[in-house]
Amino acid sequence: MPSFSAEVFQNEFISEGATDVHAIVSVTCAGAGEAGRGEGGEAAEIIIVDTSGSMLDAKIIAARQAAAVAVDQILDGTWFAVISGTHVATRAFPYPNARVSMVQMEPGARAAAKDAISRLEADGGTAMGSWLKLAGQLFDTVPQATQRHAILLTDGQNQSEQPYQFQAAIESVTGRFQCDCRGVGADWDVAELRHVSTALLGTVDLIANPAAMAADFESLMQKAMGRGVAEATLRVWAPQGSHLLWVRQVSPSVEDLTSRKVEVNPLTSAFPTGAWGDESRDYHVAVRVPPQPVGQERLAARVQLLVQDSVVSQGLVKARWSGDDALTTRIDPAVAHYTGQAELAVVIQEGLAAKAAGDEATATTKLGRAVALAAETGNDEATSKLRKVVDIDDPATGTVRLKRSVDKLDEMALDTASTKTTRVNKR
Amino acid sequence: MNENPPSDVHPAPGPTAGQRIVCPNCGEDAEPGDLFCEGCGQDLPDGITPVPADSSKRPGGLSHPAAALPTTPVDLESLSPVCRTCRGTTFQDGYCENCGSPAVKIRDHWEERPAAWVAAVSDRGVRHHRNEDGMAVSARPEPGSRAILVVCDGVSSSFDSDIASLGAARAAREVLDRPRPDVASVAGRISAWNERLALAGDEANKQAVEAGRHPSGRPGERQDSPPSCTFAAAVVDNGVIVVGWVGDSRIYWIPDFGEPEQMSRDDSWATEQILAGVPREEAENGPRAHAITRWLGPDSPDTVPTRDSRVPDRPGWLLVCSDGLWNYCSPASDLATLVRGLANEAQGDPSHLASRLIDWANAQGGMDNITVALARIAPIPPQRGNGITSDETTTPTQATSSGLNGVLDSAPTGPGNPHA
Repeated sequence: MPSFSAEVFQNEFISEGATDVHAIVSVTCAGAGEAGRGEGGEAAEIIIVDTSGSMLDAKIIAARQAAAVAVDQILDGTWFAVISGTHVATRAFPYPNARVSMVQMEPGARAAAKDAISRLEADGGTAMGSWLKLAGQLFDTVPQATQRHAILLTDGQNQSEQPYQFQAAIESVTGRFQCDCRGVGADWDVAELRHVSTALLGTVDLIANPAAMAADFESLMQKAMGRGVAEATLRVWAPQGSHLLWVRQVSPSVEDLTSRKVEVNPLTSAFPTGAWGDESRDYHVAVRVPPQPVGQERLAARVQLLVQDSVVSQGLVKARWSGDDALTTRIDPAVAHYTGQAELAVVIQEGLAAKAAGDEATATTKLGRAVALAAETGNDEATSKLRKVVDIDDPATGTVRLKRSVDKLDEMALDTASTKTTRVNKR
Repeated sequence: MNENPPSDVHPAPGPTAGQRIVCPNCGEDAEPGDLFCEGCGQDLPDGITPVPADSSKRPGGLSHPAAALPTTPVDLESLSPVCRTCRGTTFQDGYCENCGSPAVKIRDHWEERPAAWVAAVSDRGVRHHRNEDGMAVSARPEPGSRAILVVCDGVSSSFDSDIASLGAARAAREVLDRPRPDVASVAGRISAWNERLALAGDEANKQAVEAGRHPSGRPGERQDSPPSCTFAAAVVDNGVIVVGWVGDSRIYWIPDFGEPEQMSRDDSWATEQILAGVPREEAENGPRAHAITRWLGPDSPDTVPTRDSRVPDRPGWLLVCSDGLWNYCSPASDLATLVRGLANEAQGDPSHLASRLIDWANAQGGMDNITVALARIAPIPPQRGNGITSDETTTPTQATSSGLNGVLDSAPTGPGNPHA
């Protein structure tokens, strides 16, 4: 049986007249088990491989290998399918002429799927919206599979459909399955793929070298199979008269959940968090409450995790108004750390966007701020990736110069890694 | 005729058409405007209280009102089922499900409402973490017949003062609730109540002394000085008001029109200053303004309540309160303006009025515990009064007797209280 625990990090003391309460709620799951084997229902996996014309030679060879390795990781009994994506979406396995849309994994199916994958050829355009829609249709044929996950691999931009078509497709599948996105090479658009992964509660990453694809797919699929809790919901209550400013996942990566809000009742909001394995996720909750006189206490938020409509863990966020500056001016280290990390993600993305638009002054300022934040919060991965894009004169003040020649892949690596956070050293 | 609201939630005085009223003596049905009971001949005072249908026929229920004087049956130390902030009634994890306020002890905000014309509310206030005010009230159902209002304010620099104040208030009520000697004359009743108030003060003091003998040892309890509290008690007895006090909790008489007055005179450093000619404003805001010169408790040199009395000649409010209220409106004229205004909003209901006064004091900052006890006085007209001669009621104001003067003249002042 999976077990959850929640821990709250905050300074509950706020000064007279103060209204904003910040807390980091750290939720940990243990004993999650394996996908499709718990009480939550069966599991289903779809591998979506870009087979457009640009996936020539080394890329299609690596993609075939990666998909085959992923198939090896899918647990027996899991419903699965493979989609070949060009300007249209085609079911590669089960074969297009098969009577069923998805099959359960077993040794025979695994061998047949690998055979189908080995026949994938690169030819055509790129219309990712159509791939996602087909995935949604295939998942719909197995309603008993409540835990649904896909891996989407591409190497290019979404050129074969209009942006509105793409957007409509994303919206039509949001909430129906989770999707991790991977881009290979330097010709895909990080923002475009991040848009998909954010909507579908997944991750986005760069595979710079096609040879690394198989290992990445293997680990992605292992992780997906290790998520024995099919679906959990974060629920946040805040008192009457208050305003929930934001709910943001801050670890292992920064994801603003506010746009996913579903109102449960006027005081309670719910946010889908997808499937859980044995892991910890940290959430930054910010609430604006009506100010109270010094000496008063209020519960500012109750943060709960729900699995199958039962509360499995909760944390309480409090506000206590005090006239003692020694108490109220201290910022909780976890709140400070993740506030910095969230800003780091924003300034990296804004800095790279400014650089791409030719606005060197803004790019220098933003990336300089990023360097300072990365140093401050001890995010060494971000620092080393920033080093490949800027020359650092002084990390403390964020004084940097843009490098004259930068490898596009280094910029993309910085961009995709921007939302990955380092954990704070908790007390 | 059977759609009667329960008496305890109805805005008190004056029956209106459609309400069922009964004789307070025998329970016989009566009509609004009846001057006497058709069943037993008892005079029916104005403003008789409507009662719920199911209690009117209870045998003996109303014929022995003195035996049914209410006390507070709940444990004041247990958590209140009602949110003190928003009146919400659902709690989770010790916080209100609606507004997030912590659940608090009943003691932090409680009310006693022994009759429709008498109510008292005690509240922790905003700044203090505990309610150290104590109170105890009782009343007979007939408006103006008999009421006891006691407020004791625990001195916060002493330990267990919350235990002392509640014990003292309840002990005093118990003494004052005992049947009084059957005397008809106003002077005789005043004299009897003067004696009874002295006894009540003594019993109240024993409770404070007892609290000092057995410290609760609760965590965080201050140990500077033994439990201490003030004492302010008022008795209403068919047209007569008799009061007694020790310390700076106050008793005001606020007629609906005309001059209001503070009946008690604080045993405090500030009052001594005012008597010495210092302006009230200045004295009550000085550094030692809240130092009291007399109190109840083990280290008190003098615990005999100072006493006074009145025979009011017009309707009004008898108000007993702790300094959590009067700190914000000390002069009787200011308090009267406030009470008269809020009484209109409360439609004359003492319970609503007490709650509004508490809310008002909290809105001013709620720097201290706040306790307000109220009795609505509508004097019984002379021709129908109980033992009040026309002479006495038409010469209102101070009903002093020689014996009473002696008490007033010797109003003792102890040494400055070290408890601020």
